[in-house]
Amino acid sequence: MPQLRKKKPREAEIPTASQADLAFLLLLFFLVSTTIDVDTGIGLTLPEYVPPEEQVKVEVPKDRMASLLINEAGDILLDNQVVTLTQILERIKPRIIEKIELPANKKLIVSVKTDAKTSYNLYIQALDQVKEAYFEVREEYALQKFGKRVIDLNTEQLNEIKDKIPIIISIAEPEVVK
Amino acid sequence: MKFQKKLAKAKQGIPTTSMPDIVFMLLLFFMVTTTLREHDVKVVFSLPEAKAIEKIENKRVVSYIWVGKDGRIQIDDNIVKVEQVQKIMYAKRLDLPSIIVSLRIDKNSKMGLVTDIQQELRKAYCLRINYSTMKKAS
Repeated sequence: MPQLRKKKPREAEIPTASQADLAFLLLLFFLVSTTIDVDTGIGLTLPEYVPPEEQVKVEVPKDRMASLLINEAGDILLDNQVVTLTQILERIKPRIIEKIELPANKKLIVSVKTDAKTSYNLYIQALDQVKEAYFEVREEYALQKFGKRVIDLNTEQLNEIKDKIPIIISIAEPEVVK
Repeated sequence: MKFQKKLAKAKQGIPTTSMPDIVFMLLLFFMVTTTLREHDVKVVFSLPEAKAIEKIENKRVVSYIWVGKDGRIQIDDNIVKVEQVQKIMYAKRLDLPSIIVSLRIDKNSKMGLVTDIQQELRKAYCLRINYSTMKKAS
């Protein structure tokens, strides 16, 4: 009996002092586990689909075109000359530079054509070279004209650069196998 | 002595009872803002590497197409055929007019398949694409 009398009424409450710690732990877990993987890649805009019977052939002057052909064996043909992968940049760059001051309808068009059995990797490597050539030209132009790197330019200047050096990459229409 | 007693009466210390609420709010904020749409990728692929790459600014308009080593195509959580790509992507484009299609294609794929997918995308009017690549260490 003396034992019973000693018992105090129990406090029916959950201790909340550690709740903050628990919540922090959860927060940390989420912060660590979410993989914010930055999606990087080579951007491209495809042309609109035109049915073959409605396609119109437009003659483009030869000096405006840089046609890149990649076959299944991995040979690269730039304007009918066999080149290596790294040569693409060297060859295309001067051609972009000489067209900076020309009006928009006279800028360089890079046309990429591949074979059905060409490896995708090679295609990406070639596309990468072309893109890099454009980026280098843009970078040089920005340094020359604004004295800044492309990433430091404001929107207006960036638009001017995009205007002067537009990246026009055309993916050739696949040929219909008869 | 009298003075000291007066001081002791004032309650010191920051109230911590609302701290869990604040932290939970933070937690909720993080959970909502992180676009955690993990897809269950069923195809095996390894991306090619490139130097001149750009980041996709707006992740919310990105839709993925995976192409595995074996040439299987996956959109969302399903393996699809090339002929189905157009229909699926067109429906997606109706929802999201500014859709960017990120192509995660295995580097050993053949261009024939890539071109086929591109043709389907063009028919579906999904014209903005992005070849997903890894950053090449230079």
